[in-house]
Amino acid sequence: MYIIVVGGGKVGYYLAKELVEEGHEVLVMEKDPVKAERIAEELGDISLRGDGCEASIMEMAGFGRADMVIAVTGDDEDNLVVCQVAKAKFNVPRAVARINNPKNEEIFKKLGIDTTVSATAAILAQIEQELPTHPLIPLLTLKGGGLEIVEVKVPENSAVVGKRISDILLPQQSLIALIVDEDGVPRVPKSDTVVRAGDELMAVTRTENEDALRSVLTAHATFGPYGPIDSQGR
Amino acid sequence: MEFGTTLLKTILVPVDGSHASMDALALACLLAKRNKGKVYAVYVIEVARTLPLDAGLNPEAQEGEKILARADEVADSLDYAVTGELLQARDAGHAIVDEAIERDVDAIVVGIEYRRPLGELQMGLTAQYMLRNVPCQVIICRSAAGGGGA
Amino acid sequence: MGCGRVGADLAATLDQEGHEVTVLDANPDAFRRLRPEFGGQRHVGTGIDQDVLARIGVGEADAFVAVTQGDNRNVMAAQMAKHIFGVPRVVCRIYDPIREEIYHGLGLETISPTKVGARLIKEALEREPVTRGGGE
Repeated sequence: MYIIVVGGGKVGYYLAKELVEEGHEVLVMEKDPVKAERIAEELGDISLRGDGCEASIMEMAGFGRADMVIAVTGDDEDNLVVCQVAKAKFNVPRAVARINNPKNEEIFKKLGIDTTVSATAAILAQIEQELPTHPLIPLLTLKGGGLEIVEVKVPENSAVVGKRISDILLPQQSLIALIVDEDGVPRVPKSDTVVRAGDELMAVTRTENEDALRSVLTAHATFGPYGPIDSQGR
Repeated sequence: MEFGTTLLKTILVPVDGSHASMDALALACLLAKRNKGKVYAVYVIEVARTLPLDAGLNPEAQEGEKILARADEVADSLDYAVTGELLQARDAGHAIVDEAIERDVDAIVVGIEYRRPLGELQMGLTAQYMLRNVPCQVIICRSAAGGGGA
Repeated sequence: MGCGRVGADLAATLDQEGHEVTVLDANPDAFRRLRPEFGGQRHVGTGIDQDVLARIGVGEADAFVAVTQGDNRNVMAAQMAKHIFGVPRVVCRIYDPIREEIYHGLGLETISPTKVGARLIKEALEREPVTRGGGE
């Protein structure tokens, strides 16, 4: 494929190198003369100094035969225009834009830019994954026995909501050691303690049963990823 | 004491058909001949990015062959033989530097025209790029003032 | 959006005519171009941020004009006003005539001062010389 990368910053540079390694024909365009010079030193004749939004330069760069255009400058407006002009004037089949403000995804989609990539959104997603609203955070691995202590926040739609501890079928050698309710009050669960949404459960489990425990405590009441809770292990 | 220039065996000369490049070629022949070396005359077809790199460029290739034939004649007149090479690349400067490294040549002899459009001697971008980037010795052969055109 | 010479002049004229005008510019210094009697609102911020546009009430606007120095910024802001906030009239300045043609083709109301300027100058040259006093 012939792939044109617009923007010769760090993203553009590493992207171009990877694409070359994968065997694609690549051109990197950078309008800033200093950056362009640096990238030419590193990448040689696959770089071109020039404004990737300027139609005459785009023509010269061979947008007309490009299979894909990837706009990765630091400015969302430039990335938008590169992709729009590539599609409207040069009929480039695929245009990918980096977006810096994740909210811009909406306007890019509306304007027909196939794919947007947002580092900000990706990092936010990672952070959200780390938050205890998402199942099972390993807290501590107990020495020797292959046991670990994990924490899980019970999701709203979990099948265990409203059930008594004794009615929950836990994987082998797993037990719920502590429940902290939404007000932050810790309780040692008894067999008739009822689990509520938002409870944080500290559980002890064998390392190999971690996934099974996760599915028991977080699977949706009806169509969870692991099916109805009652079918687990019965 | 040895000087680099006296030891040159393999020499690359970029030829573009200009008088200066043929001058450079003649010099390279004399140098290599002394050391029983070898001279590569290299012509680069620059391919516009609107076309794939391996596009068939017949008129350009014919032009290149013609210039390499002239290079042969120049060498012939000095009772020497050069190896002609026709390359197809995006950028002549890069291609020549790559070729010099590939062939592991001892020197590049580059001819430049005497041009002073702004009062200062101007060297083409290709020559500048080679000068900055090629690892081997570079000998610049500037044509005489007012002499020779293409 | 964009309080340069054109933006400031346009804002003043519309304000005088009795319209409710809001001026947006990323640089607070730009507002010095507005005449002191300008009665509209001034906001500092970038017009290519959806949150900023929402905050200054673009959703309720009858018209949106993008006249910053950046063609691409104008293009993006204008398209946001049109496609996200549904502003009925959107006019966008694009210096580059080629880009202007492309976006005109994509349904944006665009003006290229480069193209218009060149045409006006050509027309002036072709006209019989006006004897004295005629500014235009």
